[in-house]
Amino acid sequence: MSEETKPQQAPETAPEPTPDVSQFCPKGDVLVVAEHILGELQPVTLELLGAGRILADKMERKLLCIVMGHEIGDIPQKMIEYGADKVYVADHEELKCYRTLPYRRALVDFLESLPEPPHTTLLGSTTTGRDLAPRIAAHFDTGLTADCTELDIGPYEHKSKVDPTKIGLYPNCLYAIRPSFGESLKARILGPWKNPQMATTRPGVMIPNKPDAGRKGEIIKVPVNLKDEDVRLVVEETIREVSKGIKLSDADVIVAGGYGLGTADGFELIKKLAACFENSAVGASRKVVDLGWIPYANQVGQTGKTVRPKLYIACGISGAIQHRVGMSKSNIIIAINKDPDAAIFKFAHHGIVGDCYQIIPEMIKQLQENKVKREVQAVVGTH
Amino acid sequence: MSGYNIFVLVKQVPDQGSKAGINPDGTIDRAKAKRMLNPFDRYALQAALHTKKAYGGTVTAISMGPPPAVEILMEALEHGVDRGFLLSDRRLAASDTLATAYALYKTVLYAGKFDLIFCGLQTTDGDTAQVGPQLAERLNLPQITYCEDFAIENGRVQARRIIEGGIQRVSTGTPVLVTVANSYHPLEYKSFRGAWRVQQLARRQEELKQFIQTIDLDMIGADIERCGLKGSPTIVAATEKVGEIGGSCTMHEGHSPEEMVLEIIKNTGIREYLVAK
Ligand SMILES: Cc1cc2nc3c(=O)[nH]c(=O)nc-3n(C[C@H](O)[C@H](O)[C@H](O)COP(=O)(O)OP(=O)(O)OC[C@H]3O[C@@H](n4cnc5c(N)ncnc54)[C@H](O)[C@@H]3O)c2cc1C
Ligand SMILES: Nc1ncnc2c1ncn2[C@@H]1O[C@H](COP(=O)(O)O)[C@@H](O)[C@H]1O
Repeated sequence: MSEETKPQQAPETAPEPTPDVSQFCPKGDVLVVAEHILGELQPVTLELLGAGRILADKMERKLLCIVMGHEIGDIPQKMIEYGADKVYVADHEELKCYRTLPYRRALVDFLESLPEPPHTTLLGSTTTGRDLAPRIAAHFDTGLTADCTELDIGPYEHKSKVDPTKIGLYPNCLYAIRPSFGESLKARILGPWKNPQMATTRPGVMIPNKPDAGRKGEIIKVPVNLKDEDVRLVVEETIREVSKGIKLSDADVIVAGGYGLGTADGFELIKKLAACFENSAVGASRKVVDLGWIPYANQVGQTGKTVRPKLYIACGISGAIQHRVGMSKSNIIIAINKDPDAAIFKFAHHGIVGDCYQIIPEMIKQLQENKVKREVQAVVGTH
Repeated sequence: MSGYNIFVLVKQVPDQGSKAGINPDGTIDRAKAKRMLNPFDRYALQAALHTKKAYGGTVTAISMGPPPAVEILMEALEHGVDRGFLLSDRRLAASDTLATAYALYKTVLYAGKFDLIFCGLQTTDGDTAQVGPQLAERLNLPQITYCEDFAIENGRVQARRIIEGGIQRVSTGTPVLVTVANSYHPLEYKSFRGAWRVQQLARRQEELKQFIQTIDLDMIGADIERCGLKGSPTIVAATEKVGEIGGSCTMHEGHSPEEMVLEIIKNTGIREYLVAK
């Protein structure tokens, strides 16, 4: 992503003679880097295979996938079922748990071993993908676009004379499209001059293919040769909290609380509001989970749960992008926040600017009255 | 000087909270926009200053940007940073993250010995979270991204970082590059003394130069081909304003809680989801 988000070039073509750019027209395939946490496949990988398949088909290339890890079970087979043509497996004890440098080494060595660099390489825009992708891009001096929400392949004509070696018409470029400036703009980023053209994609956006158990593909082992310097950093402990009891993802209504509640006790109010609704659950931002106000199982967002309820009521939540990606697909989003400029109002459907401690009790009161009214109506109606 | 040589990377960004300098098409006119220290870099600054306070050492702030970016280095001095470097050069215009990371790499080498480099998680204008890891690659350093807790025990860095679905504890020796998450401690207020000292310095430009050095690409021996537009493998080919943002939310503001809640209940159909009796 360019630090300057001003367009330097419009992608329209002009009938000028164009120099030969065949050296820049890579024959390579599309590569997806699979992601798992201690062997548990991350959903973004299936999404990447879905998106990668479309790109590969558009260019009539193959879809490759690399899985790095240790004793990764049936993940490679699954990659084929979800669309990969060839799956490369880098298996090594030191790759069991994700760590920047060993994974970097395995991926760099693999890429260098290919006769032709991939045209495109995709990773998930997760804490892992965004840790690894920039290292690879810097190593190969290639372009990388973070957190894409759309990908495509298309032509591009570069006319700017600043660097004459770049001028030309490029038939197959990766269009990496991402939101920028606080999600208010969409920018299309291109970098056809170097391969692989790299991108990370936002989890939950791309659509996976339906798995096809009969799909055929190749599984190929690749060597892993780590150096001492690759294990300078040690992972002491990985704590993944498995949620018990609460089924956030199945709830019809989620009432979520954030730091704006001020204290852990604020969640009593959240629970009371949630109790007004059928099949409801309590959600939370990471900040309050970190503070120990509520268990991790209630966290919504990039590193918590992705939810899609019919109704999401966000109370005292600012609407940070990492929270947003976990709940923006809810049918109705109501936000209560005392700051009229809070980011959450940019994507909520209904907003109340006010103090949670005034609004929520009032809402509970009115909903309960409402219920009474409805019941009375219902009773009257049957007569 | 004893203790750790701590570097912190800070960037000046347009203040998107203020409407000044925002073009109708959504792009930013940097000359008109209000400027501020990238909010995420405040956490990096806090991590750097805390490390100095807890384990000893000096803090060097490094920034790349146009001349006004000296403002954020002054701000960093007020907070207790010892010295700053501003890399400012017209040939850096239109750098993407790779070119930025290269230029910062040369700047880091110029600034001297380091044990720890703290970066912000991401910038609010570039918004990529790439510059840190790309700089670590150039410097062949291990990295700890999304760090939300940081300590040094017996010369070894102990850190906690965010991962999908949880956290991870990692340890490593120095040197290391750390990108600091926004769940780290917020930046402490500047001390009155610090602010006063910098105000005095600002009046004596010559003396200020001992603390904040402005440097260019020639001084750091950068390869011009790897900087700016030339050194950038990516370009922004097109931008498009996203319609739905900032407009589709029905706002209720300035009325009594009763009225606002009533409106919401009337208009959203949330009654449908109430517990049936
Ligand atoms: C790698 C990474 C992963 C992350 N993953 C997640 C994730 O999965 N989920 C997540 O939620 N976050 C996540 N975060 C953190 C995220 O960036 C934000 O820091 C977090 O969502 C903020 O929580 P908040 O909205 O509760 O707090 P704040 O941002 O502090 O917002 C509090 C809000 O409450 C409002 N307020 C204050 N008082 C009142 C009142 N009395 N009444 C009404 N409103 C009030 C304020 O105006 C403010 O808007 C992640 C961050 C990183 C770096
Ligand atoms: N121009 C710059 N000057 C100094 N530091 C920068 C610059 N650009 C990025 N950084 C650092 O890299 C981090 C990530 O930035 P970005 O990749 O733009 O999201 C920032 O929080 C800064 O610490």
